[in-house]
Amino acid sequence: MPVDVAMAASDRPSDEQIIAALRAGDERAFHDLYARTYATMKRVARGYVDSDAVAEETVQETWAAVVTGIDRFEGRSALGTWIFSILINQARTHGARERRALPFASVAVGDEREPAVDPDRFQSDEDAWPGHWATPPRPWAKPERRLLSLEARQRIKDALADLPDRQRVIVGLRDVEGCSSVEVCALLDVSQENQRVLLHRGRARLRAALENYVENA
Amino acid sequence: MDNPGRPRDRHLAAAGAGADEVTCQQFVELITDYFEGTLEPRTLTLVEEHLVMCDWCVTYTEHMRATIDLIAELKEPDLVPEPAEHVLAALRARREAR
Repeated sequence: MPVDVAMAASDRPSDEQIIAALRAGDERAFHDLYARTYATMKRVARGYVDSDAVAEETVQETWAAVVTGIDRFEGRSALGTWIFSILINQARTHGARERRALPFASVAVGDEREPAVDPDRFQSDEDAWPGHWATPPRPWAKPERRLLSLEARQRIKDALADLPDRQRVIVGLRDVEGCSSVEVCALLDVSQENQRVLLHRGRARLRAALENYVENA
Repeated sequence: MDNPGRPRDRHLAAAGAGADEVTCQQFVELITDYFEGTLEPRTLTLVEEHLVMCDWCVTYTEHMRATIDLIAELKEPDLVPEPAEHVLAALRARREAR
């Protein structure tokens, strides 16, 4: 499965050009690729290991393996796919060393009940319209100045950092880095269904955090 | 509308919804599948019907879109640490081998 994460774009060098540059030890070309992919690689690694520090270390180890092993790359997959497969292998090795269960492996995420919105905000079975809003959301003005503020940005950044690990990794890859669901499922070895559940819960928490900020700030 | 013989699809079943309408509480659980385009046709119809009738859930949908837009703004291309020394050394070794 092709993984194009941050790699393919018309204004960027082709895989062939990058491969030639890496083989030649071209530092500028390397830096370009490194800077462009760093955040995504770190987020993916963080999906397998327990700390940011180990995720960062894993990214560096991956690049060392890419630079020393680029002669062995035969171009049978896209360069990005190859690099991320190395990353995932390294991250898995780290994860196993930390004796930490892989966070995405075979977890039935659908079983853990976590409503998107506080159930108290809906009418109960005794009310006139069970399941409909009792405390409905209020529109955020457009443009909501409060939402455009640096403070709002910090709020959502903090809320993202506070998400449970698996939700944070999925929301980070999908909504911050702009990966497709197909890419995320391939990179993290997670099913489409579980990916959506985690994305759903993560986004719901972030919306609630913003609502709380807009209503109470 | 009422057709008790129609099988409930998995989204409706997961959201605990009946066959003929979704409630607001069910809608907020379906919104990600709605955005992802992964709702089954019958559920999609019910969700769209719900949105026509329910301004509050339209507001909820707008909240969610605004939230996703704000999350996207967290991308920070500049916060990249220098490559590790052993990576740079591997690059140097390549140059010197030429």
